[in-house]
Amino acid sequence: MSVSHPMPAASPIAATPFRPTGPLMGVLPLAIGIVVAVLLHVILPGFVGPYYSRIVIDIGIAIILAVSLNIVNGMTGQFSIGHAGFMTVGGYTAGLITYYGSYFIWGTLGKHGVFLGTGEWLFAASCIVGGLVAAGAGYIVGLPSLRLRGDYLAIVTLGFGEILRVVLQQTGKVLDDGAAIRAAGWSQWLPPPVGGAIGFDGIPKYTNLFWVYTFVTITVVVAYRLKHSSLGRAMISVREDEIAAQAMGVNIARQKVLAFVMAAFFAGVAGGLFAHERGVIISPKDAGFQRSFDYVIMTVLGGRGSISGVTLAAIILTALPELLRDFEQYRLIVFALLLIVMMIVRPQGLFGIHEIWHFWRRRSR
Amino acid sequence: MSATALLHVQDIGIAFGGLKAVQHFSLRLPAGGLYGLIGPNGAGKTTVFNLLTGVYNPDSGSMRLAATDLMGRKPHEITASGIARTFQNIRLFPNLTVLDNVRLAGQLRSRVGLFGTLARTAEYQHQEDDLTRKALDLLSIFEMQDRADELADSLSYGHQRRLEILRALATDPRVLLLDEPAAGLNPQEKLALAKSIRAIRDRFQVAVLLIEHDMGLVMDICERITVLDHGVTICEGPPKHVQNDPKVIAAYLGGGG
Repeated sequence: MSVSHPMPAASPIAATPFRPTGPLMGVLPLAIGIVVAVLLHVILPGFVGPYYSRIVIDIGIAIILAVSLNIVNGMTGQFSIGHAGFMTVGGYTAGLITYYGSYFIWGTLGKHGVFLGTGEWLFAASCIVGGLVAAGAGYIVGLPSLRLRGDYLAIVTLGFGEILRVVLQQTGKVLDDGAAIRAAGWSQWLPPPVGGAIGFDGIPKYTNLFWVYTFVTITVVVAYRLKHSSLGRAMISVREDEIAAQAMGVNIARQKVLAFVMAAFFAGVAGGLFAHERGVIISPKDAGFQRSFDYVIMTVLGGRGSISGVTLAAIILTALPELLRDFEQYRLIVFALLLIVMMIVRPQGLFGIHEIWHFWRRRSR
Repeated sequence: MSATALLHVQDIGIAFGGLKAVQHFSLRLPAGGLYGLIGPNGAGKTTVFNLLTGVYNPDSGSMRLAATDLMGRKPHEITASGIARTFQNIRLFPNLTVLDNVRLAGQLRSRVGLFGTLARTAEYQHQEDDLTRKALDLLSIFEMQDRADELADSLSYGHQRRLEILRALATDPRVLLLDEPAAGLNPQEKLALAKSIRAIRDRFQVAVLLIEHDMGLVMDICERITVLDHGVTICEGPPKHVQNDPKVIAAYLGGGG
């Protein structure tokens, strides 16, 4: 290959890749996602029954967590294993709001209203507040990433989850009737009474397919748009080569912290959905590293940076253990083996940094 | 030599522990100048680049780009103020496409924040389209437009070097620092490179500071040359002057050590 550096007159290329524009494109994917969420909510339980609906909800929550973790681990290349910590922060915050909020607003504990009724809106708002509080935690945990790399950063994020777990174990027991709530003085509210080691029981079970898949849509759309924007390219450049990124004018400190904050926000939202799910009692152990590793495995398996790959991995790795219930106790062994095999056979993950449709396009060419 | 320098560097230096890597380095690079920085291996040439681009902060001295004080600035701030560089060992973003390697520069002057990006506002779309067009124009100037969708990793060595230069130009620099651009090229390629460095200087109106081991190339295109040895400037002047300086000859041939 000859390496001439020719300098012909500029020939501006007029043709830019076709991309539909206009304000409609801004909301269209979200609208489609919400319609799908409504359809899932209305149709699916009738077909598959409550058990499988529950698995589909679990899958949705896992998608939010894996896709958001991928912003930090995959796109920005910062190895975080504290994602469950952010999830738990969001879950407890949201639970605190709906549980005690219900009493202060309606005078009683428990679930309020029907589908899309007032109770559900309180729940949706609580998930977003949970996300915001988690984002604040993400900011604080993101700061060490400015100085630490690789394994060292991973240990800090791991430590965050473990500290959170221990702190949550020290909280008081849940105030379970109106008299107790009225009688409670300041000392009982600080730290908030969220159940200590046994977990926060009694959170109203608002989580349904509609809300889960609405938030899944928002998460995936945000992640996708981020990845294909100037901002996302700046994040990816940090993963690729920090020194070159700086030389190109990328403020790597800002990109890293932004990645942590965004990922933590969606983890917090997912935590809110998780805490309000039927059959779930959110407890301190949810902040621990085992749950974090589940999501790390999903991002590694799906391919670091591939949104569709990570989504697929979240679906498979959530559905598989449920479908193979009898082998529950072998789950960790199977996951570990799967990871080892992946590292040997395909270290870049199922889809590497690409999206699924890139492979489709390549084949059809 | 022009009276007013674009890049004005006075007596900068840095020590790593007891090792004085660079001492009292001074440079006055005028707008549109094409200067060279040479010296034996380990003389501190790349360290000078790292000082100029904020990778290291100088222990002493002063640096200015036109009216902007560069001392203590972070690398990305220095890039924003108008100094771009390439690296001795190529540092592209291997898993980004050629186009995205170039388009990344757009985030420097982005007017759209996080919200605009995520909502895909009209302003955001407009900016991204602009960016893509500018990047493709730049690629076409270097005859690389048909490789826009390839991963940077998959390019040949020569194309990678070329992409690194044009990626640096995408940041709209006023000063371009080239760290051994001719490394690994054969004689014909070096000839072509010499021509294109001059052309880049003229076309993009940048001042160029060049680190190079190939004396023929340096003597051929540089207007003035600074020679470093053990972190100290041992000679500075036009190529003719530098070539005949006994200190330079001694530094390269090891005489008089």
